[in-house]
Amino acid sequence: MTADSVPAGGDPRRLLADARDLARRVRLAQQVTWLPLLVLALVTFGAIPVYRFSQPVLSDCQAMADGQVCKAWYQAAQFYWWTALVLAYVVIAGGYLRVARARGLGTRVLPYVLTGVALVVLSAAVSAMWSILDHPYYPDPPPSSVQLLFRLLDPTGAIGLALLVLAWLERRVELLLFALGYLAVVLVPIDLGWGTGWGPNWAFAPQLTINGGLLLLGGIGFALAQRLRRPQ
Amino acid sequence: MNGPADTPGPGETESPHPATGLDDMVHQRVRLGILTIAHEARRVEFGYLRNQLELTAGNLSQHLAVLETAGLVAVEKGYAGRRGRTWITLTAAGNTALAEEIGRLKQLIARVDTTEAGPSGGDPQR
Repeated sequence: MTADSVPAGGDPRRLLADARDLARRVRLAQQVTWLPLLVLALVTFGAIPVYRFSQPVLSDCQAMADGQVCKAWYQAAQFYWWTALVLAYVVIAGGYLRVARARGLGTRVLPYVLTGVALVVLSAAVSAMWSILDHPYYPDPPPSSVQLLFRLLDPTGAIGLALLVLAWLERRVELLLFALGYLAVVLVPIDLGWGTGWGPNWAFAPQLTINGGLLLLGGIGFALAQRLRRPQ
Repeated sequence: MNGPADTPGPGETESPHPATGLDDMVHQRVRLGILTIAHEARRVEFGYLRNQLELTAGNLSQHLAVLETAGLVAVEKGYAGRRGRTWITLTAAGNTALAEEIGRLKQLIARVDTTEAGPSGGDPQR
């Protein structure tokens, strides 16, 4: 049996190399990495006017040495994030399915979409739990470890966590590095001094602009890379 | 293949050679290609397989019929608009067969490498 099946076209090294090459080509044909990055960039940019033109619900205000501090609930913004992110994941799933079907393939995007939606639910649950616990540490800010956890489970952080899953599904190191870079920006916010004199409710705009810009640039970069790499 | 590295020492039991476990159904370039693509793609259309494996429709159909009869793939015919399309998915048995084949190929390569690296292996001119 060995003598009949191993030589020539059945050389194990060649068979394995061929199988790996075919698998790589399938993965390449399934990739639409620019789509989630572009859609999530739009969702992030869309949050800016929502924060700007909605009023947070303020309660339990206390006078401090340099003004006053209040418990704030950005009701409209939170509902925006939950709805927009779930819709975004539906659009992403539809886009991946459509592209894969047109290329004669199935898609492996479902775990990414489910993780994304699960993280939105987790983010909402953490937010609700924080309200139920009546903002522990108030009026002091929470410890930095709690703030870090909050940023990670914040909708912008949840976007980055879900992208890690997409990187694993697509076996794409570039996307993994991008997602880690994005998470670093989300977890360690960049303060360029913007927005201080922009008036009320602009406080979130600079960071959202940076996050959205990063996603947009990533989307453009992956789209260009895909055009160059796809076999003709 | 039968160098010293393959000879068991006293008290050792010889493990079967990886090549003895190869399944002729899967150990064939085209059929291994079909299973690999179907595994990676979740489901794959007939035309994609034909293009990637550079086969004629008749040849591919024959290989698919063999795999379908063996229960390694499921073939589903449908329509996209007015165009007929045939989708191929890997069954659980196909998934297992593919994993076993890949495992055996890796074992076989490792065995060949070990033999070639042994004291009497490599270039006989040296």
